[in-house]
Amino acid sequence: MSDQAILSAPGAAAEYDSAPATKVRGYWQSVAYRLSHDWITLIFGAVVLVIILIAVFAPLLAPFDPYAQSIVGRLKPMGWRGHPLGTDELGRDMLSRLIYGGRISLIMGLAPVAIAVMIGGTLGVIGGFAGKVANTAIMRTMDVFYAFPSILLAVAISGAMGGGIFNGIISLSLVFIPAMCRVAETATSQVKNLDYIEAARASGAGTFAIIRHHVLGNVLGPVFIYASSLVSVSILLASGLSFLGLGVQPPEPDWGLMLSTLRQSIYVDPLGCAMPGIAIFITSICFNLVSDGVRAAMDVRI
Amino acid sequence: MSRLTVFTTRCALLGAMALSIVPFQSSRAAGVLTVAMTAGDLPVDTGNPDQGFEGFRFVGWNLYDALINWDLSSKDKPSDIKPGLASEWHIDPANSKRWIFTLRQGVKWHDGCDFTADDVMWNFARISDQKAPQFLTQQFALSRAYLTNYDGIEKIDDHTVAIKTKFVESLFPYDMAYVLMVSRCRAEALKLDWDAYAKAPSGTGPYRFASMTPHERMEFTPNKEYWDKARVPKQDRLIILPMPEAATRTAALLSGQVNFIEAPAPDAVPVLKKGGMQIVTNTYPHNWPYILNFTRGPFTNLKVRQAANYAINRDDVVDLVGGFAIPEYAEVPPTLPYYGHPVVYKFDKDKARALLKEAGCLPCKVTLAISTSGSGQMQSLPMNELVKQQLEDAGFVVNLDVMDWNALLDVSRSGVPKYPNVDGMNASRGLLDPVSAIIKPVASAYWSPAGSNWGHFKTPEADALVTQIFEEFDATKRMALLTKLHEYESEQALMIFVVHDLNPRALSPKVKGFIQSQNWFQDLTPISVDP
Repeated sequence: MSDQAILSAPGAAAEYDSAPATKVRGYWQSVAYRLSHDWITLIFGAVVLVIILIAVFAPLLAPFDPYAQSIVGRLKPMGWRGHPLGTDELGRDMLSRLIYGGRISLIMGLAPVAIAVMIGGTLGVIGGFAGKVANTAIMRTMDVFYAFPSILLAVAISGAMGGGIFNGIISLSLVFIPAMCRVAETATSQVKNLDYIEAARASGAGTFAIIRHHVLGNVLGPVFIYASSLVSVSILLASGLSFLGLGVQPPEPDWGLMLSTLRQSIYVDPLGCAMPGIAIFITSICFNLVSDGVRAAMDVRI
Repeated sequence: MSRLTVFTTRCALLGAMALSIVPFQSSRAAGVLTVAMTAGDLPVDTGNPDQGFEGFRFVGWNLYDALINWDLSSKDKPSDIKPGLASEWHIDPANSKRWIFTLRQGVKWHDGCDFTADDVMWNFARISDQKAPQFLTQQFALSRAYLTNYDGIEKIDDHTVAIKTKFVESLFPYDMAYVLMVSRCRAEALKLDWDAYAKAPSGTGPYRFASMTPHERMEFTPNKEYWDKARVPKQDRLIILPMPEAATRTAALLSGQVNFIEAPAPDAVPVLKKGGMQIVTNTYPHNWPYILNFTRGPFTNLKVRQAANYAINRDDVVDLVGGFAIPEYAEVPPTLPYYGHPVVYKFDKDKARALLKEAGCLPCKVTLAISTSGSGQMQSLPMNELVKQQLEDAGFVVNLDVMDWNALLDVSRSGVPKYPNVDGMNASRGLLDPVSAIIKPVASAYWSPAGSNWGHFKTPEADALVTQIFEEFDATKRMALLTKLHEYESEQALMIFVVHDLNPRALSPKVKGFIQSQNWFQDLTPISVDP
């Protein structure tokens, strides 16, 4: 699409009728134009940016050590002795743990998706472009993974490999690779028989050059959009794994794990118990809406 | 009609009314006891249950009896064994490896058959003889821990059997208090189809099986013909529900779905009390320690083990669990008769650090295997996080290897041969009898994976003491030896001792008559439920 799509801004047709068509926006300019007029995406994008900045600068922003315990200060309410959001079940500062928890949640949201884009995207392009035996071998293998619901697959892989951030990232990557592979394979299959590919082939271009210059440009759009929609799913799945004890392990400040350990105190401190859940909700919905906005701006159907 | 006649008639009418009301009230007062267990599923009902001791508590001891039962009638003293289907037992005077059991007469199975010595023979074959048609692998697995020393059974007459042991063991009767007897009559009527039997189990216990919805509920009705008349249930019906989430159990009790819950979350107790619920606790033979690796790593050094024990601020752990625990300074709680005078490892961070320095292990890196939850594991994650912090404050560097309960059970059963890199394991322990409590963890005969000496502890002193205990049939002298062994284990800092659970339960105000014994098992028969 980046090669051939020349899109104009919505509602600009009348303008072109009355004036000479001397200035036509490029594809990415057009995407940027649409995004700049999509206030919902801009607002939620700003929230995502704030969340990322908070996570990056956590050591500077957190008012307390997120690991420092105080049994006498457990489950204290908001504002207690300088703890803006109170304390958790071991007397640790809730705000500091939420801030540090954002780091882990973002890592768990982005890393598996990035790995899946690299591995799944590569396999999909290879499968789609090579066709025949290679396509069958790759896609039927992916179908095996597809047969399982994603959360069940993540739980099974994490259960078999054990808990921890690293194993959590691997299990979520394995969950996302088949879906990513399928998106890349579909996009590649659609473009590989188009005329300009045939022309490139006829002009003597090698397979690698065709993929690099003519296929990837058309595949990356859908892959990128799909990947952005998976970030929120990844955050939710990672939180679910941690909640079940299969993801991040204590005493790390992870939102899913915090939700799990705080739920025993729900009758004493219901608001405190809800905070990690609120953080998960806000982050995942922001990523989701931003992904939707970018998809609409890029006019990609998946 | 004379006035006398009128008066007599009125008295008779009033009497009849009163008589009709009394049984009505009594039957209403009996009510339905609905229990929310911590188990994730219903325990199996084909003999010895799974789901740990909770399975014994709510299914095993309700449907069945063993040759020897537990006396659960008192909350004031540690419970001990008492006659069950065997009314008496003694060691054969001519052979110290042969125990004679006199069976109780007049006992009937729930299906109406008489209980005899043949039933006992048949039951032992069912769990130990792979060639017997009634052999059930599942029951073999669930019973084998109690048959380590079992070497065969013989029938002396219709009401007497003899059980042989592999080695002399004066405490052998305790093992027989974990082997439940199922009805041969019912099993054979069902052609040994154990799936069918699970839907219609028959025992001699105080409750009869009524119905079961798999994974959801099991219902029992009182066995009015129970041989122990003092333990005929006082409810109309008993229902048990698996409910592993503490918050769910709390909500179920507050909403009236159940009227008896196991282990409410300590933080929910104030809310439960506010709702008028009864909170029942008692000391019982349970400990929450870290069992250590004696084959390699820092804990092979006595000074490091002592340092770890001095590093624990047990009062803080007790606070964390809302006061529903007592500090653990030795293996068993002070209420047990063989507690003696163990070393008291009072919290002393500086002393701990000094010991680590003497041991040449500062900082001292250790890996501890822990579970996210599990039977008897209390508030596993926060408690382990707190202990980690306390150990690190004293100079340890702790890596918590977190796993789910079944994975930790594998670590526990397989022992250090399979998990040599684990320096310690946090697994709560049932200390119902002296063999389980203090003998198995130190005797080399019980090295894992065959036995429960997880970390392969071995010293000549411990083995010699265990042999003396097993060969001592005088209860007073044996108690002195048990006390000596307990004190020795404390000196050796055999484990990192943390707390003993007080096992809170929450009951609806309508539940009356429950006596929480000092035991993992509990007697539900005295309970009545107001309308």
